[in-house]
Amino acid sequence: MDNENTSNKRKLNCNDESKCFELLESILDGEETPGSKELLNEKLAKCQPCFEHYHLEKVIREVLKSKCTKHLVPAELKDSIRQKIQEIK
Amino acid sequence: MSEVQRKKYSDKEKNSIFDHEFMPHIDSMYNFAFRLTFDEDDAKDLVQDTYLKAYRFINSFEKGTNAKAWLFRILKNSFINEYRKKSKQPSKVDYQEVETYYNSDNVDYNMTSDLRVDAVKDMLGDEISNALNSLAVDFRTVIILCDLEGFTYEEMAKILDIPIGTVRSRLHRARNLLKDKLRSYAENMGYDTEEE
Repeated sequence: MDNENTSNKRKLNCNDESKCFELLESILDGEETPGSKELLNEKLAKCQPCFEHYHLEKVIREVLKSKCTKHLVPAELKDSIRQKIQEIK
Repeated sequence: MSEVQRKKYSDKEKNSIFDHEFMPHIDSMYNFAFRLTFDEDDAKDLVQDTYLKAYRFINSFEKGTNAKAWLFRILKNSFINEYRKKSKQPSKVDYQEVETYYNSDNVDYNMTSDLRVDAVKDMLGDEISNALNSLAVDFRTVIILCDLEGFTYEEMAKILDIPIGTVRSRLHRARNLLKDKLRSYAENMGYDTEEE
């Protein structure tokens, strides 16, 4: 902003956080639209708040997925369901 | 899901659909049920009821379509109609979460800016899990459906009977609440190892 020579560095402020972050979140959720990949790469390369938001959102999704899906189904549940089905047949 | 033409499956077809299209989702169904009810027995009952309903209404399921979304929708409706009333979780938790959110005005993004990627990575499974469980059920549900189960916005809209725009905004709010929680855990980790 105050120095044009730092064009290879990311800008520290995002002009449109709400819209950008919504887009980033959609992309992380697999809701891609044509051109969204390119737009994502551009944001990540040029905008620090977008870069940080993207990576934070990404890691939260990863830890949720790896740490919150480990409830083992009780062994007897499947048998119990099959038995009940037999009864209503 | 939208009304589908009723089929007339033979017993053999019914069993095949049940075994090959419904039962493979039981892990996800149980995880969802457990995170809704917080109780192993309630979760078992909820999953069992869902499967019995699925079998009873199997003729309204079109073979080869999205069985997982169909089952999740039944489970969600069963939960709302039968289990939510007798849920062992006090509603004040939900209320407080909603309050926290609505009192936060428009600081939406700034309030989570000090949550670091490394802090999230270092968190224990219990902390992540507790943070998720602490969210009001509507917020918790969208995160489970999206992040744990990988449903699309469109599938979530059908499962929850809400417009896609509502899915999007609810998810965004849910994520902000979750980040709030995670941030407070991160702060605690940073201060001292001594438990409160």
